[in-house]
Amino acid sequence: MKKIIPLLFLVLAAAGLMLILNACSDNMGDSGVNPQTGTGGSMARFAITGNTLYIVSKQSLEVYDIKDGGNPAKTISRNMGVGIETIFPYKQNLFIGAMDGMYIYNNATPANPILMSKFTHVMSCDPVVVQDKYAYVTLRAGVNCRPGGSFSSLDVVDISDPTRPALVNSQTVDSPFGLGVSGKKLFVCEGDKGFRVMDITDPAKPVHQRYYQDLPSYDVIVRGKHLIITGKKGLFQYSFDDSDSIRYLSQIPVL
Amino acid sequence: MRSTLLAAGIALLMSSCYNRESEPFVGNVKFDGTGYRPVYKNAEDVAKVEVSAAQALKEPGKIYTFGRYLFINELGKGIHVIDNADSTKPENLSFISITGNYDIAVKDNWLYADNLSNLLVIDISDPKAPRLTKTIANALPVQNYPPMTGIYFECADPKKGVVVDWEKVSMDKQPKCYR
Repeated sequence: MKKIIPLLFLVLAAAGLMLILNACSDNMGDSGVNPQTGTGGSMARFAITGNTLYIVSKQSLEVYDIKDGGNPAKTISRNMGVGIETIFPYKQNLFIGAMDGMYIYNNATPANPILMSKFTHVMSCDPVVVQDKYAYVTLRAGVNCRPGGSFSSLDVVDISDPTRPALVNSQTVDSPFGLGVSGKKLFVCEGDKGFRVMDITDPAKPVHQRYYQDLPSYDVIVRGKHLIITGKKGLFQYSFDDSDSIRYLSQIPVL
Repeated sequence: MRSTLLAAGIALLMSSCYNRESEPFVGNVKFDGTGYRPVYKNAEDVAKVEVSAAQALKEPGKIYTFGRYLFINELGKGIHVIDNADSTKPENLSFISITGNYDIAVKDNWLYADNLSNLLVIDISDPKAPRLTKTIANALPVQNYPPMTGIYFECADPKKGVVVDWEKVSMDKQPKCYR
């Protein structure tokens, strides 16, 4: 009996640890918020998960260990080719937006992200956000984005198997920059054209809901039912619910 | 032989000014008498970080939230620190002036920010008085060419300093660099 007690304790401790770890990753996945780190928008080149800082430069992924927050230590640098623009961590994966596609890296070992797949698309600027099985990618045409390109689009990519991302929906939008997702809502910053609210009750098929053309927007952070938007006119905050409109909270205007 | 080598060397040097990333650019653009010229600063000035009282937003860029705080990038200029405990009344606390800053991330009381090729660590335990604690040089690969494509520009010369900006000017001669 005496021998069993410590063993039992170990098993319990292990189970407890697993529970804690599990709860942690679930929480991160659902809200995108980790208690000690903050949240960036979809246009970000910097991202933190746990004790790792990821930075994407135009052509590489730089990884820093920030266990000792005041002294970041470089762990790895991955050359990635060209036109890297954004990074969005979601659960066990890093979604990296490049001009010619979206890379999915597994970051189960944060210091050594492993390339799972690359979803190639036409040349464009393309931030990405993820919720559950789907990645939402905007592809902006423009002088520096899609030379000679004719239109911009919002693509939905099924990433339930990160090694095999598959396009399930694509629709035309105006001039998309950042985007944000929460529950049944997808928000698309349309640059000077405004701010678009979409319904994703069917997550594979975003449906246009509202277009706020007097709200120029560049990037958005969605936290729960709270929207933080930046654009040419300044910083705007709104709240939203299941209805199709958003409610003004405050602004810090550009002066 | 020597002259071939020299020619090859010069060609290589010249091609290094071109941006291989910009492909596929659509055709070649004819030189129209204008081009972009690098604006240089010395490395010391570039790395200087100053904290001042709150400033108005001019060209807001990316945003980052951390607990009650909100960080708003001022394109290429620095970071506005906002107390957003009450999102109906955000309070602009301070401005961290950082050359070439576009990105922000925070863990605990540490804010990480880009400063051209430098990675900065800033202690924000007192958000009204952020404090630079570390500068990691050459942390981020940077490109020495303007962000636009289909344009001519004067090739950057690292001997003249760090390129902090590009200005469009009229030029008598077609500059060597194009992207």
